[in-house]
Amino acid sequence: MAIDQIHDLQQVYRKLLHSMSRPGTISSIEQETENMDVDFGCADALMLSAMVLLDAEVTFHVLSTKRRDLIEKISEYTSARCVPLQEADFIIVLQEDRESEILEAMAQCKIGNLIDPQQSSTWIIETPALSNKGTLLLTGPGIETEAHLAMGQSFEFWQARDSRIKEYPMGIDMIFADGSSQVACLPRTVTAILMEVE
Amino acid sequence: MRAKPHFAFFDEGSKKEIRRATLKAVAIPGYQVPFASREMPIARGWGTGGLQLTLSLIGKTDVLKVIDQGADESVNAVSIKKLVQETTGVQTTDQTEEADLIQSRHRIPETPMTKDQILVLQVPMPEPLRPVEAREYMTKRMHSEDDYSGAWLMLFEQIVKYGKTATAADHPVYVNGRYVMAPSPIPRFDNPRMHQSEALILLGAGREKKIYAVPPFTNVESLAFEDYPFAVESFKGKECQLCGSAHVFLDELIDQKTGEPVYQCNDTSYCMEQLNSREKVEVESSYA
Repeated sequence: MAIDQIHDLQQVYRKLLHSMSRPGTISSIEQETENMDVDFGCADALMLSAMVLLDAEVTFHVLSTKRRDLIEKISEYTSARCVPLQEADFIIVLQEDRESEILEAMAQCKIGNLIDPQQSSTWIIETPALSNKGTLLLTGPGIETEAHLAMGQSFEFWQARDSRIKEYPMGIDMIFADGSSQVACLPRTVTAILMEVE
Repeated sequence: MRAKPHFAFFDEGSKKEIRRATLKAVAIPGYQVPFASREMPIARGWGTGGLQLTLSLIGKTDVLKVIDQGADESVNAVSIKKLVQETTGVQTTDQTEEADLIQSRHRIPETPMTKDQILVLQVPMPEPLRPVEAREYMTKRMHSEDDYSGAWLMLFEQIVKYGKTATAADHPVYVNGRYVMAPSPIPRFDNPRMHQSEALILLGAGREKKIYAVPPFTNVESLAFEDYPFAVESFKGKECQLCGSAHVFLDELIDQKTGEPVYQCNDTSYCMEQLNSREKVEVESSYA
């Protein structure tokens, strides 16, 4: 069965919105990814998140230079344009991407400006299995006291994110998608601290 | 023959655009994200912002509640409910607890909302600084510079003129300590309900083409001075003439016979619920 462009995407959007308004909350979109009958060579949840948000009005950038096939697939399915990193509204990061490249990209991506902070990039990141038993401590709007998350990103990654969100309201928002059809989000308002122990 | 409308009225492209703006709004609490407000089958200024948010959110299994100034049965609420119902086939309800999506004009329901619910508020004037600055370019700039002296000055002038802040509704709030936001024309009574709310609150202004949000568990402080603290409308010693509830937002009506003011719950479904539960108790006790 193919993806239902109306109802499946609506469900995924609601899950994304739920996770974005409650950072650290992991939502499962397994019911929807089950309907995917094409192998895109990336996590189904990542592709589905892209399908919810991308269309001809926005641009994207796939960090990996070796994945022309994925760029073509995303363009074909969503009509979004692939542009250089510095201009992209959505930046797609795969698990195989090297950390040095991710850090470099994070330093260059759009973060909006003070008058229009919404003109920033949203990162859609493929991660190893997401779990709430992690060493990443989250605090901020949307979280009652604190939340924990594990997604396998390094200390340097969070440092790089910190340097791009410190001039709030400018900043970047992140959507994490794992191989078992789970998503979690991290808006720019959230402080993420990597703890040494749980 | 009448053509069947697309699910939730909108084409998918319009929904996507609103969804992207909504996610950005959630990521920047209180900031008004511009969006391409669509032409709707109701006039701008009659809840098109809220309606567009509702249509972008709604799915087949959602249960919808629409309220207009506390009432489920007023014309505006009924026509919006009908439009959404006819284009989606979703169930509608009057009960706050049963609803997944609640679109509201100028009230937050009395019954506390939960984490699985989303409140959509209709906004006529999203810009709290508009009374002091007519140019959008300038108000955007003031927001970017965290310059809210205009908002403070408005309240100060009210104190000078009337001896208190005289905002009847739409009392400006600080969201997450950064943006000053118009909470839509809800009474001051409802402002504290936005603070650390369990439910996500989305605000849509169709005519002004803005979407903004208050995520759950976010600080929302009403603007006030140290010597003139923020105060909600007081209904001390008054209660609803129908259900007897106190500590709720009451409407003042004039009794036609006596000419005396009487009070009644503004939230009609809450009032009905109180009456029904009391009746149930009465029936059960008399049966026994």
